[in-house]
Amino acid sequence: MNIENLSLIDLKNAIQERKLTSLEVTKFFVEKCEKSDLNAVLEVFDDALEKAKEMDEKIENGFKGKLAGVPVIIKDNILYKGKKASCGSRFLENYTAQYNSTVVQKMLDEGAVIIARANMDEFAMGSSTENSYFGITKNALDPTRVPGGSSGGSASAVAGSLAPVALGTDTGGSIRQPSSYNGVVGIKPTYGRVSRFGVVAFASSIEQVGPITKNVKDNAYMLEVLAGHSEHDETSLKEEVPSYLSSIKGDITGLRVGVMKEVEEAVKGLEVEKSYKNALEFLKKNGATLVDVSIKDFKLSLPCYYIIAPAEATSNLGRFDGVKYSRRSAEAKDVDEIYVKSRSEGFGKEVKRRIMLGNFVLSSGYFDAYYNKAKKLQQKLIEEAKEAFSKCDIIVMPTTAGEPFKIGEKTGDPVSMYKEDLFTIMANILGVPAISIPFGKGKSGLPLGIQIVADRLNEGVIYNVADFIEKKGEEDARV
Amino acid sequence: MNRTKITIEEVKRLAGLSALEFSEEELENFIPEFENIIALVDEVKNCDVGSQELKYTTHKLSECRPDVAKESLPQEEILLNSPKTKKGAFCVPKMLD
Repeated sequence: MNIENLSLIDLKNAIQERKLTSLEVTKFFVEKCEKSDLNAVLEVFDDALEKAKEMDEKIENGFKGKLAGVPVIIKDNILYKGKKASCGSRFLENYTAQYNSTVVQKMLDEGAVIIARANMDEFAMGSSTENSYFGITKNALDPTRVPGGSSGGSASAVAGSLAPVALGTDTGGSIRQPSSYNGVVGIKPTYGRVSRFGVVAFASSIEQVGPITKNVKDNAYMLEVLAGHSEHDETSLKEEVPSYLSSIKGDITGLRVGVMKEVEEAVKGLEVEKSYKNALEFLKKNGATLVDVSIKDFKLSLPCYYIIAPAEATSNLGRFDGVKYSRRSAEAKDVDEIYVKSRSEGFGKEVKRRIMLGNFVLSSGYFDAYYNKAKKLQQKLIEEAKEAFSKCDIIVMPTTAGEPFKIGEKTGDPVSMYKEDLFTIMANILGVPAISIPFGKGKSGLPLGIQIVADRLNEGVIYNVADFIEKKGEEDARV
Repeated sequence: MNRTKITIEEVKRLAGLSALEFSEEELENFIPEFENIIALVDEVKNCDVGSQELKYTTHKLSECRPDVAKESLPQEEILLNSPKTKKGAFCVPKMLD
């Protein structure tokens, strides 16, 4: 059996039916991680094979779990008890998780074998995984290009077949943009659908954990495991988790596809334009109705994000003071110096930039003009989206402007890097779910991504459409 | 629209609020970069959001869970990641003589 080519669901079935052992499968992926030169993985856990062996025994004794014996990679900001979680930062280089995050616990309860932690932009701040203290991750399809970010390690790992699934986190596109750049599938669920307990906080009011997989069905299957309320996270939703797999029907007849006026405007002249138009055409040809909708302030979601996210980051990163979490500057002589020197040595350039920006928008004299205004704008965007979603079931838009850019191409220009997130940020500001799936190719033959966005808690609709496009859209995706 | 200008004093004030230190050169370099970022977020400052009051954000109102005493992490585990501890407490240099 060719382990690399099996889907996550097929792997799980093969292990459950004892056609493969968890040890064989885990060994295969662990070796791939160790041989890989993508720098997608920061650490392969030394107990992975042992855990796989234990799982094999449990399965032999009748254990059944949705991930029984399946290897999984987690992003470096997700806590797994006893393992390091460094957030791609020098500050947390030696930080060891004291407890399991809800998502890790849910996966372990279903029998997963967590094999490694994936590289990321420091504290999830970035769109290229060039901001990690532990070096740049390469795109799995073209090593001269960035994998996207901040979950670049997770997406590159899945595309490079280092695991059948990896978890990412998405604050402004950090799952979807790298998924698009590596030709894989990644979802940012509805805000609160997945618990953030045990995930190192960056911008708490807009971020979510989500799975990155090679295909849509695997993704839907994984979200069933991850979603649900946690008593440790009051922002996690109590609504029952539906079977996302059974929402995949293979039919999109009658689907109302929102075509956003503002997106039509924004895609003009971009590399992704043709592929975006082809996706709409494909959906129409297969029984969907295209409906004109508008979210007037769509373009302002980008600057809105760059006020709300740094403001929250400034507060969240206040806890890293040189007293409680691993790093303390050897130069510090008194308490004030412990704070200032530990932080100045421990944080990288982009993190410092965003802390400074956060303090700017929150500081006296600016608070109303920036932070309060951004929160009001967010409210306005939510109202505009409500109106749009009353007319359609999904909105289709590109994930990125084009193919992944070259390593180093945008590092000197933060604003140009921030604009990478134009199409992805809206879903975070609105708190709605959005998936990125590959559709079409760019100038160099690298995959482009298409995004399907739906109203809150409508992940089922998203998966149905995404699966339909994945199965039947290949011909139409050719640009 | 005039671009918001940032002075070196402003950058120093923000560095103080951020508990970060920079060299003089870093501070100087920071100004044009920061002004570009401010120009981006100024689009929000200058946009029209009408006269609405701030009502809610993206999710439901937070609820409090029932106040039930449960076992938490043991003290030694809490202190595990601290760079310096003493007698079960986080340790910092003397603050008062």
